[in-house]
Amino acid sequence: MGSPVFWFLRHARLPLLAAVAFWLGLARAEDIHTDSRTPFLHNIPLHDAQGRLISPAPPVSDDGKPQDSKANPYSPALTCGKCHDYDAISQGWHFNADSPTVKPGRPGEPWILTDPATHTQIPLSYRGWAGTFKPSDLGLSDFEFVTNFARHFPGGGPGEPGKIKSRDPQMGRMLITGTMEIDCLICHQTTGRYDHEARFNALQAQNFRWAPSIASGLGVFASFKSAGSIADSWHPGRPAPTTLPAIKYNRARFDTENNVLFQVSRRPPVNNCYYCHTSESALGDARWHGDLDVHIKAGLLCVDCHRNGLDHVIVRGYEGEARDRAITDSAVDLRTLLIRRDNSAINADAARKLARQQLQSEAGQIETLTCRGCHTEGRLGSPRPVHKGLPPIHLAKLSCTACHSGPLPASEPQVVHTSMAHKLGLPAPERGKNTAPVILEPVFLRGADGKIAPFKMVWPSYWARLNGTNLVPLLPDEAAKTATLPQPSSDAAARDPYNTKPLTDQEIQKALESFPSEPSRGEPVFIAAGKIYRVQKGVLSAGEFPAAQPYAWALAHDVRPASQALGSRGCAECHASDSPMYFATVAARGPVEPKNGLSKEMWEMRGDDKTVASFFAFTFHFRPLLKCIVFAAAFVVLGVLILYGLRGLGAITAPASSTGKERS
Amino acid sequence: MSRAAGKFSYAVLCAAGLVLAVTGIGTFALGKAPMTHWVLMLHVAFAPLFALGLAAVALTWSGLCRAGVESPLNAPAKALLWLILLTGLVVTLSGVVPMTPLFGSNGQHLLYLTHRYSAIVLTAAVLLHLPLLVRHK
Repeated sequence: MGSPVFWFLRHARLPLLAAVAFWLGLARAEDIHTDSRTPFLHNIPLHDAQGRLISPAPPVSDDGKPQDSKANPYSPALTCGKCHDYDAISQGWHFNADSPTVKPGRPGEPWILTDPATHTQIPLSYRGWAGTFKPSDLGLSDFEFVTNFARHFPGGGPGEPGKIKSRDPQMGRMLITGTMEIDCLICHQTTGRYDHEARFNALQAQNFRWAPSIASGLGVFASFKSAGSIADSWHPGRPAPTTLPAIKYNRARFDTENNVLFQVSRRPPVNNCYYCHTSESALGDARWHGDLDVHIKAGLLCVDCHRNGLDHVIVRGYEGEARDRAITDSAVDLRTLLIRRDNSAINADAARKLARQQLQSEAGQIETLTCRGCHTEGRLGSPRPVHKGLPPIHLAKLSCTACHSGPLPASEPQVVHTSMAHKLGLPAPERGKNTAPVILEPVFLRGADGKIAPFKMVWPSYWARLNGTNLVPLLPDEAAKTATLPQPSSDAAARDPYNTKPLTDQEIQKALESFPSEPSRGEPVFIAAGKIYRVQKGVLSAGEFPAAQPYAWALAHDVRPASQALGSRGCAECHASDSPMYFATVAARGPVEPKNGLSKEMWEMRGDDKTVASFFAFTFHFRPLLKCIVFAAAFVVLGVLILYGLRGLGAITAPASSTGKERS
Repeated sequence: MSRAAGKFSYAVLCAAGLVLAVTGIGTFALGKAPMTHWVLMLHVAFAPLFALGLAAVALTWSGLCRAGVESPLNAPAKALLWLILLTGLVVTLSGVVPMTPLFGSNGQHLLYLTHRYSAIVLTAAVLLHLPLLVRHK
């Protein structure tokens, strides 16, 4: 023990420990990894929005008095972000809608601004999908957007502006309410104890900063006055109050080191996805009839196909998606870091170029996570499709989802409720078939790739001003203030909380005539069920109008197994004179009497030729006869060929046989 | 079988084959394969007629085309007739079998290609056969 090494260690251990601590302090937290498939035990300290460690006060103060465990709300960005690069994550698909550099990709489900009182339903999206409005087009601020849709909005993007201007009367409120950070636990908690209703209530009260702590059950809001009401009494431009409500933490969630155990998974459970992505066409009590997606039943998770890296640019899973994916700078930065760590000789520029090349190459691999990609590659044990008896042209003309996804088509598309549109996951009076917004599925349209695929469809409905060809929708508040709309009695409101009673022509005319005359803003009009309603010379007219056209987005789930695919019971499922694929009636739905809505058959919706479709279906009556004739004819030809073939063989072998006989 | 029956069957085969070639090979040659809509329906409508014509030709012409039998047809004409029957059989079967649930996607695709290329060979054989028949008329 008297060696110089031990002498050095004994005398220099404190400086050494200090040096190690200093080095660890310098290392970026996101550089620390476990790199194991075993999940890391997330028993971690909480940090508030200023990065300060949260340590609830002990039950009894130093002078022996009981005290509350109050502290600032925890910040997911600064707690989870200690190890997971929050900036990179915030570029993910769920959070990047308002980023101008992100390609919009295939149109997806919009947010639908719905107000039953004014019969408003307007599809919104920051992504600029054709048929949707950007919130700013309607004069809806980011703050109004996030407060409207906070119930299913995961945070980030417009909820987390880079800079808050205190003079902005709306966004300035975030100095008090806090920003709506990405709440990682919405997706990644595995306990099933994330309280969406509590989050919704917190966000409704504009307690943005407090919502993650409340929803995850770490504590409760420790004030009777909400952040929203504090912000109401604040004047834009003035400094925000410094004393804001705290969270009263549940001490039982903290260990002796003030760490909190988060049971989280990199692979979110299906039920977490369902909170925002439930799509239910078996309504009400009929829900028990549903089989759910065949992949879920087989034990897969949503994220087995809808994967993502740290940048959270999740695979949407449609064919051609690789073209729409942008390689984010954060992803390049991270990959560059890794490349240079592995190879210190490479310079920064070369590493960055290589990183981008690698990421682009990997982007191509996401095609193997589409239906076709997975089932032809056999990933995850997926069966290779056999498609017995299905002429190959179907694979060129139809998407996989046309036959395998959504409810089986009937003479009319079904009403479907979705989480984002119908606030599913939150308690409310039972939603019905006429609860706005009415969304129908499946509607068979052609996608951008020209293939027929099933879509969900919603018809916009709103009061607006039409100036020339410029149509400006009115937000529900303005419509309610301006127009004389029928007011349901209290009995009717109790019986029909979603105000599903359709507007009559007289009611629409009365409402339009009640708008003040403002020639500079244009004439008042009403858009509903595929038509524009306007009053001209005292007469109400209705007709088709481009802005009244429905918005449609492709549906992909629930996937039905091969045995329940469209066509599994024969060609006539699609090729018949009454097949839903061509002849189902798609009646536009909206807050008007059903007979007044636009109604089209499926072939017309996608611009097909009805005569061709009908005649082609008609020919299928003769298909058995055709098969009989052709098989019979082929049998005759085959018989002749065999007969003369055998005769020919006989002629060849006869001389040899006779020669043999002569010899014997 | 009478000579008139033979001529009639051959005429039916050629007429139906012409429509099938124009719709099928024509679409392929124009780079618009596969056939759809009216073209496909026209093609399918003439298929049974072609199959019946082929069967009738098999019944009426095969006796004349046996090797070593005295016949107004020369050897190349005889050989081409057998080629027409053989490729005709392949064409008809590869056209109708996909309408049955016997083959999956890969098999169906193989049948589709078989149908296409055997039809091209059949058309070529008929085009070569016709001048030989005219010469021996």
